[in-house]
This record gives sequence, structure tokens and C-alpha cells, in this order.
Amino acid sequence: MYAATSRGFNRLLDAVVRIDVRETTIEDGAQRFTGGIGSGVIISADGLILTNAHVASPLAVEISVTLASLERVNAKLIGWDHWTDLAVIQVDLGDLRRRKLKFTYAEFGDSNALTPGETVYAVGTPYGLTRTVTRGIISNNNRPFEDPRGIRGYEVGMFNNWLQTDAAINPGNSGGPLVTEDGRVVGINSRAYIGADNLGFAIPSAIAQRVSQILVKKGSVTRSYLGIVPGVLQDLERFYSLASNTGMLVNSVDPGSPVARAGLRPGDIVLTLNGQKIDGRFPEQLPPIQNLIADLPVGSAVKLGVKRGSQSLELSAVTEKLESRVGEEMVLEKWGLSVRRVSRAFARENQLTDDSGVLVIGVQGGYPAALSGIAVGDIISKVAGEPIGTLAHLQEHYQSYVDKPAPVLVEAQRNRRIALYVFKP
Amino acid sequence: MKFSRIILIGVALLISSRAADLPALIQERLASVVAVEFVIQTEVERHPVTAAGTVIDDQGTIILPGSVIPPTIAPGQLSGFKVYHPGSSEEHEAAYLGQDALTGWHFVRAEERMRKELVPIAKFAGTGTAGTRMGDELWGIGLRGKQEDFVPYVLSSRVAMIARFPNETAVLAQDVAGPGLPVFTPAGQFAGLALNSFGQNFLLFSQNHNGTPILLVNAEESSVVLLAAEALPQLGRIPQAVTGRPMAWIGVYGLQPVDPEVAKLLKLEKQSGVVISDIMAGSPAAQAGLQDRDIVLAIDGQPLPRFKPDQVVVTYAGQEIVRRHPGDVIALSVLRGTERHEIKVTLGDEPKMIREASRRYFEKLGLTVREFLKYDGLMNRSSPEDTGGVVVHFLKPNSPAASAGLQPNDWLREIDGVPVKDYAEAVEKLAAIEADAARREFVLLASRNGETQVLRIKLN
Repeated sequence: MYAATSRGFNRLLDAVVRIDVRETTIEDGAQRFTGGIGSGVIISADGLILTNAHVASPLAVEISVTLASLERVNAKLIGWDHWTDLAVIQVDLGDLRRRKLKFTYAEFGDSNALTPGETVYAVGTPYGLTRTVTRGIISNNNRPFEDPRGIRGYEVGMFNNWLQTDAAINPGNSGGPLVTEDGRVVGINSRAYIGADNLGFAIPSAIAQRVSQILVKKGSVTRSYLGIVPGVLQDLERFYSLASNTGMLVNSVDPGSPVARAGLRPGDIVLTLNGQKIDGRFPEQLPPIQNLIADLPVGSAVKLGVKRGSQSLELSAVTEKLESRVGEEMVLEKWGLSVRRVSRAFARENQLTDDSGVLVIGVQGGYPAALSGIAVGDIISKVAGEPIGTLAHLQEHYQSYVDKPAPVLVEAQRNRRIALYVFKP
Repeated sequence: MKFSRIILIGVALLISSRAADLPALIQERLASVVAVEFVIQTEVERHPVTAAGTVIDDQGTIILPGSVIPPTIAPGQLSGFKVYHPGSSEEHEAAYLGQDALTGWHFVRAEERMRKELVPIAKFAGTGTAGTRMGDELWGIGLRGKQEDFVPYVLSSRVAMIARFPNETAVLAQDVAGPGLPVFTPAGQFAGLALNSFGQNFLLFSQNHNGTPILLVNAEESSVVLLAAEALPQLGRIPQAVTGRPMAWIGVYGLQPVDPEVAKLLKLEKQSGVVISDIMAGSPAAQAGLQDRDIVLAIDGQPLPRFKPDQVVVTYAGQEIVRRHPGDVIALSVLRGTERHEIKVTLGDEPKMIREASRRYFEKLGLTVREFLKYDGLMNRSSPEDTGGVVVHFLKPNSPAASAGLQPNDWLREIDGVPVKDYAEAVEKLAAIEADAARREFVLLASRNGETQVLRIKLN
């Protein structure tokens, strides 16, 4: 049977949308508007649309959806999760009703039942070419693919594996569905190797369904954090005298993290997590283990069965809330400065003493910040002699500058080295 | 007219005396100029180096610019020092004496039989006190490469500007000498030593570049001259040891200039300052109670001058430390918040440097490890008590160690799952692994930017 003749497939085609996003980005210390095109798939009768986190983000100021009928309607962001590159938006139902527009929604298939070699179709808007269908097969149904800065500097892929397909996926396909011949959504197309031949990746529908349900309810996914950086045990079992298919190697322990306080050390092998046996032999086994930890309630006690040399230990740690390396951002236009909160993850990554201070992410030429000599990457630690802990704190100083412009002394650190600057009107 | 004839005769005499004397002056001054050749031996390569040097005394001592030897190269890696007269292929043996911390110069001494043909540069130092001024004409010497027997040539130009960087330096309109070689007045008086040239901005136009900005540095000739008044007093700084020790040390690693705007806001009139941070635990500065954010305003009562660009004051402060000796007490006037403090620091001796660190190359494994230094602790942001392990100093390309993903400067904390106490223990373990022909693999715990990694190194 051809996909084109299947009723399911036709229904799916009616559920795929083009998404045009206008968003504010912070560049060179000023807020600017940019636009982008992506794809999405309607997943419910109340007009919820699943797409990628890198298509529709909290920076979006205007999201416009083009339905299969080629009618355009506005949409708003419901939830966002960069870790799985998923976002949920919802069309303006009131507008739809007024204009008497109709749509259908797609049905999910079972991504866990996919086998390599199975035919799949990608539907989306590559390079703005609306409603493009491409065909391929599942090349691999369990591909690990993590990128610590994959989504505009945000982490992606630590907690899930991906479907790999040779169905052509190009820029603009992002957020569109990967479907089986009967039109059931088995994945959300997310990324491809640029310049490679047909190496595309999609988030499996099992994960997309689960995450989208949480996003609809809460707007974001809360995950737990322990501070273990796992490594692959493959070929090291003999060295650690382990039965094969047992345990997860601790490659690194984040300083100051729950497991660091619990006494976990690099080179330890985690055999059990709350009594459950763990197997981290191959790279694709690690995201599910990471997800097991992430799924624990924040603040819950965790028992780790650990092998250290010939010793067996039981360590207990209490999970913390997972944070991204990217903190909230803010633009201070009169200073020509854009800044970002220093998150705990960023502080650890950069070996900062703590997570206080505000990171400079853009300076605009000719404005007070740029003229003072402060540069991208500097961390503002004091203004007018007072420590800066949060964005709000900096905002206060900025406001008093705006109200009554006068030279202000700014202390910033670069590689922990302290320097002074003056922002003056 | 009698009057004009006198003037004409005067001018004619001046011109003829210059024209007649310059070749002779050059010939005479070539006795202060040599070419020096040596070899830098690394784990897998021998790099031949040639440099130009200036003779500083009648013991055959020669100075070379600091940049001719990378700072991590140990004196033991240097060999085969040879000295040549300009335009001659005759080799003379020489010995390496070490590097001076203040000037950065490397010192080399030529063998006895060559010494009588060498003339110390100070012999050409003038007696006048006028010094070099803007607009003065100067000339200097350059040397061609070894293939041309280091044949000398002459350059001349005019002083375009004089500035303090922080040492009094003349920048000429055009290149005037090879880096490391002397520059003279038209009368033949020593005017200064050519430093490495500054970069010059150009725009590149070609098929693929439409006005791309590029920075060009002339490696063979320079227009930057350290003036004689600054150079002459330093010529005697021959290192007492090949390591360059003793070297005064304060232990402050973050030094940032106070720019004029900041100075104005802090009400520091007409002077500069240096904000200090990154103070090494246990260092002289830490022991004396210096703190992050202290602003140094004066050293031994001397206010820090204002230099242009601002960054020069940092070099100035650094020089004020290294020109002193370990054990000297230095008084720093610092601004802490709104209060002024006078802090006396007893300078220590520079901790072991990378070029002095014990190191060993394991050829089969494909890496050199060296001992963990205080400075590594600073770079790794580790606690001062955490001094175990060794540092990867070199990786042989495509070797087992390199293929496993190690990188230079990785800090090796464990070998085969056991923490490494110190350098001796690491060397013992690695040597045992290298000697064991039956060994198929070993495991390292390496730390990089505060994150660790378990690495399996496959041997074949």
C-alpha cells in the first residue's frame, strides 16, 4: 500500500502546519527582532501543536501557524523543554471559530515498536517549501546524541535517545512529524548533520508524548539533578572486575553537587540506584539512566550502590532541581548591555567560586558599557560598591542610572581576575 | 660674500665627514654584533634556531631577545650553541648562561679564542646626556640568514615617537635593525637595542579577500628600539644560574590597570593604580595580607605613573617586583574600599617554573609527564592542599596516549585506579607499564577544567 492512498496518511497531512516565528534575540547588547520558519503537528482537538524547542522558544513574540487549508492563525507558547528539543504551542481557538476554520489532529504511533529498515515519511517546511513530504527508513532507532550547547547555548539530548532516519531533513523541517505509512506520528524531526547525506534525527514519539503532556500541564519539565557525569563502561569491565552488562562508570563528579557531598568519586562504578540494577555499558544506555535520575522527585533521597576498587559502598544523596547552564537574560538598553544570570551549572562549568554575579553576553558599540572596556564573557560582580547577586539587583542600579544619569563604577571578573570599569552618560 | 662662504664650507664639511665615516663606523661596530645558532631538542624533533645577538662585555657574553626560546623549554633541551661573526661561516663554540627575568634576555658566552675579536657595545656608548629625541636619524644593522653567512646590512630611519612601555622606547618611521641588534646615532654612538617589531595593520586584497584586515609583523627587522639609557644599566644582569634564579616573587596573578575614568571616580589625581586579584594561597602577598580588590597606588613610596596605553602600568608593576631580590621587603600603598593601607611584603623566591620541572618522556606510551607545580594548582583552580598527580607535558601524535583522548596540560590524578601521590610515584608506575611487554592497556583518571575523565589507553 502506498502511503498516499492511506486514509491515515491524508489525515496526518491535514494536521501538519507551517510555523513562522518572530522573536526577540539579544545581540550586541540590544534587543533585535528576527524571524524563522519551522514545522509542527497538531496533536489535539483543542489545537495543541507539537514542535521543536529551537523553533518556538520563550523569546518568540509572535507565532503564526499556517494550517493545511493555507489559512493563517496566531498561536501562543504553552510549554518549552530544550533538553528534549520539544515545545508545545496552541492556536488561537477563538479566532479559528470566528473564521470558521477547521483542522484535524494527528495520532501517535508507538516509537518503541519501530525497527531499523522500516519506511517512514518526514513532513514539513524545508527551506520554506510548505507541505513537503520526504521518504526514508528508520536508520537506527536508538541513537544517543547529546550537545551541551545545542539549542541556542542550551543543553539538549542528555535524557533521551533519537530516531535516526535517511528521510531528507533540511532546515525548516524542524518540529515536523516523522510518520509511518499509516500516518501515525512516531517522531518529531529535530536535526540533521549539515553537509552529510541523509543523517537526520527525530525525538521518538514515546518521549514527545510524555513531555508534551507535562508541558501542557505545567509549561516546563522539572527534573532532578545529582551531579554524576557518566562514562561508557565498554571495554573497561575487566579493569573494574565487573560482570558484563553491570554498572555505570562515574567519569566526573560535579563539584559541590549532591553526589560530591555524598562522597562519590570519579572512577567509582554505580551498580544500583535505589536498589534498581543499572547497566551503562554502551553510549545509548546512558541517556535512559540519566532520565531515571531526572525523573526522581526533586529533594528525594537516593541510595547509590557503588563499587570502588574491591570495596562496596552505599552512598545516599538528595536530589536537587536540574538547572541549565543558561540563565535568564535581560537587556539594559541605555548601557548597550545584555546580561545573563550566572546559573549554578554555568558556575561549575567555568570553575567560578559561586553562582553570584551576572554574565555579559553582549555589548553594543558606542554605548557606555562598550566604551568602558567591559567585554562579552566578563562577569559583573559589583556595581557602585555593592555586590550583584541577581538580575533584579543589576536592574535596580540600571534604573537609578536611567532616572539620574551619572558615572557608575562597575567591577567585573574575567577568569577570576578583577577589573574596574566606569559606565558614564 | 665672506659670510655665506663660511656657511657653505661648514655644510660641506659636515656632509663629507658623515659620508666618509659611516662605512668605517659600521665596520668598527660589527665587532659588537654576532649571529648565534643553537638547537632546541623536543621529545620527537630537533628545531634549529638562529638569532642575532649583541656583545655586552669582554668575556664574550652575548644577549639574545627573550622570544628566541619558548618559556617552557628546559635549559637541558638547548644544545649546540655556535657563534658567528657577521659575514663569516667560521663556527665558534658557546655556552648558554640562562635568561634574565627582568629584561627577558637570554645570555650566551662565546669561547675564549673568539673573545678578543668581540667589542662590548658599551664601548660605543656616548658621553653626551642629550639622549635620543623625536626626529633624530638613527642607523642599525641587520643580518641575513645562515645560507648567506649572516652577511650584515645597514638600515636607517628617523625616530617617529618616543614612549614609555614602560621602558623608554623609540619607534622609528621604518625598520632600523634586526631584533636584538644595536642601533647608533650618525656619529656612531650606541642609541639603543632593537626589540621585536610591533605588528602593523594592513588590508589584504586578493581574489578571495576584499580588504580583509591583517596584522603583519616583520620577524627579521624592527622599528622599535629600547633606548640606550634603559638598556645600558641592564647589560650586567648576567644570570647567576642557568635557571635565571634567584627570582623575586610576590604571588599575585590578576593585575588590571585602573583606567583614567576609574581613577577620576576614585579621586586618584594624575596617577594610576593596579587592581589585584588571583592571589596564590601561601604566597608572599597572601601572607602579608593583600586581598582581592586591593588597588595598589604606590610601590616603596613611588606612586604608579600613568602610562599610555593603560595596560603598561601592569608591566611596570611586574618589573618593580622582579628587579628586586627574594627576601627584599617591598612597601605597597593600597586602596581598600575607601581606606588606604600600607602593606609590607617580604618577597619570596619564584616557585618552580615549568622549564625547571622534572619531566620524563615515555616513548612507547607516547607522552611526557612533568611534576605538578604550584602554578598548575592556580590554573586548575584546585585547593592548595591538592598537590597529587602529574601533568601531561607532551603527547606524541597518534601514540596510544594521544589516541585515548589525552591533551597537553591534562592533570593525571590516578593510574590504574590508584591515586598518584607525586611525580616519583607516577614515573615509577608509568615506567613499569612501559617495560611490561604483556600489558595490553592501562587506565588513567585525567582532570581538565575541573572535570575528570576515565581514559583507557590501549597498548599494542
